[in-house]
Amino acid sequence: MNRKERKILKREQKQEKKFEKVVEGSKFKQWRSRRPFWGATLTVLAGLMILYIPLHLYAIAFIPGSLVFVGFIFGGLVLIIGICEYLYPQLSTFFGIATIFLSVLSIMGALGGFLIGTLLGIVAGALNIAWDKEEIDLDTWERNKEQEKLGEINEAV
Amino acid sequence: MEKKIVVGKTMKKKFMIALLTGFLAFGGLIAGFGFTGTAFALPLGGIGDFYVEFDELNGTDFQLLPHVGETGTSDAEPMVRNKMDKVVITNLHIYKDLELPGIGWVRFHVRSTGPTNITGLIHDARLIEADLSFDNLEIEEKNTTEFSQNWSQNASTINIKDAKIVTDYLFQTVVSLDGAKISAERIEGPDMTTFPGSGK
Repeated sequence: MNRKERKILKREQKQEKKFEKVVEGSKFKQWRSRRPFWGATLTVLAGLMILYIPLHLYAIAFIPGSLVFVGFIFGGLVLIIGICEYLYPQLSTFFGIATIFLSVLSIMGALGGFLIGTLLGIVAGALNIAWDKEEIDLDTWERNKEQEKLGEINEAV
Repeated sequence: MEKKIVVGKTMKKKFMIALLTGFLAFGGLIAGFGFTGTAFALPLGGIGDFYVEFDELNGTDFQLLPHVGETGTSDAEPMVRNKMDKVVITNLHIYKDLELPGIGWVRFHVRSTGPTNITGLIHDARLIEADLSFDNLEIEEKNTTEFSQNWSQNASTINIKDAKIVTDYLFQTVVSLDGAKISAERIEGPDMTTFPGSGK
């Protein structure tokens, strides 16, 4: 077995372990695996961080020409996108791009939540863009597992 | 009935590309600000007193109002709120003293050697030491219980020379700092300039 094959085998084994964990895991774990959970959670955190500065400057947010109001909009949009990511995982790529775009722009009017909000937003957006789902047919998967076990027993005998 | 389970995964390659693109956009924006020396809506406040010094300031549409505001050590302190529409400052120097754990007192400096152009300045000060001159100065009182509107001082232009201002809040809609230098140094203790006789 060459190095490439070993690499593929290792990846398959890792994936198999992941499937096993999800199938045998709790309902929350299964719910979590159906959406970009960590991306969405980080997006919500980034939104809260970005909103922190405009919330502290609400007294001047409505002065004409004040960019603090823009900070409110950026922070609020990132927060809403974070919540939508939990509800509509099929749009994760679009939400990811929007998160990165708004987080970077939030430097204007909100200082990017002391830059922490911007950095969190970029990582969260990247996680959302990179998220993908895989459907497994549970019956086929269980049948394959049983056959594997039988094969192992036969080999041992 | 077929039962299907959805398992999510993160594609490493896509993640790295998206992350890199995000940081590139972020770096591009920061570099853009760096080259033009411009920062939008820079709010400074709630971090305690900081000090503003400059050689000369020329401002238009000046307004001075009484104000009660939050400082780094108190929820409500009396201060004056200055508002100006367009401001040009020469030799601006802003500094802030902070006690950092394990290091001691550190003074952070922001210096601008060229002219600093500000649009939409709001500035709360506890002490102003400077030579002032105004054009069309008007002091106005209003019969109202609202303290912030009770009296105001307005001028079409203001000129301030050799100023030292103890500041607690600063907001600028657009600011451009030419030849800005940011530095930090260790100091023995903080600058304690306050109102004479205030005991603080």
